[in-house]
Amino acid sequence: MKPISYVDELNKHYGSMGFPAYEWTLNETAPIIRPGKPISESRVTMLTSGGISHCTMPGFNPDARNDHRLDAVDPHVASSDFQINDSYYNHNDADQDINCVFPIDRLKEMAEAGVIGSIAPRFWSGFMGRIYNRTKLIEESVPAFIEKLREDAVDILVAVPA
Amino acid sequence: MGLVCRVVEQAGIPTVCVSTGRDLTAQVKPPRSLFLNFPMGNNFGQPFNIRQQTAILTRALELIEEVEVGGLLEDWRQPWTEAVEYFTGRTGQST
Repeated sequence: MKPISYVDELNKHYGSMGFPAYEWTLNETAPIIRPGKPISESRVTMLTSGGISHCTMPGFNPDARNDHRLDAVDPHVASSDFQINDSYYNHNDADQDINCVFPIDRLKEMAEAGVIGSIAPRFWSGFMGRIYNRTKLIEESVPAFIEKLREDAVDILVAVPA
Repeated sequence: MGLVCRVVEQAGIPTVCVSTGRDLTAQVKPPRSLFLNFPMGNNFGQPFNIRQQTAILTRALELIEEVEVGGLLEDWRQPWTEAVEYFTGRTGQST
C-alpha cells in the first residue's frame, strides 16, 4: 500500500484549523558519522515526540505548538505507568502497550541479552510536533539536549517521531 | 524529530529515526531512517507483539553500523495488517 502523504494531509488539516501554511524543511543532504564502537558495546538512549509522560508528571498539551518541553524518563519505571496526550495520532494501541511507540522494555531486554552494551540512565520524551520556531530548536533546545546526552555518555540515539 | 537527529549527529552522536511518515522523513532527511508503513504511533508495530517490536528495534540499531551515506531511508518490508489511514483526530476512530 502506498504510504500516506502526510505533507498533503497536514497542509489540509492545519489550513482547516486556520493555521498559517507550514514551511516544510527540505534538505538535500544529511550529516553522517560512523559509530566509534560496536552496538554490543554502545550505550543507547531513546527519544519520542509522542506526547508521552510518566504518570507522576503533568500530561503534555495534546494540541501543543512550539512546545520545547523535554522530560527525562527513568528507564526503570514500569512501562505501564505512562500517559499519552497527543491529538495528532491514534494512540489506542500505545495506551495499551507503550512499547508500540516507545519500546523501553525491548531496549532493556536487548541490554540484558548483550545485543547493546547498556541503556542510558535517562530516556527522553518531548519536542512534540508542530514546532514552528525551528531556529530556537536548532540553536538552543537541541544543544541543551546534547549536553545531557554527553553527561550520560550516550553512544547512540534512537528517535521515534509520533 | 528529523531535525533533532541531524543536530545530534553533527555533534558526534550517531542517530537513527524510526518513522511512520515517509514523505516527512524523506524531505527532512535525518542521517538514517527506518520507515514503517504503519499507523503513526505504531512505529514498533502491534501492542504486546514482542517479537515484532524487537525485530524493528534491532533493524534500526543495525542501521547505525551499516549506513555510510547520510540520509538513507530504508523501507520495512512487512505491511501493516489493515489499511493505514490518516488520523484526523476524531475520537473513537480506529486505524
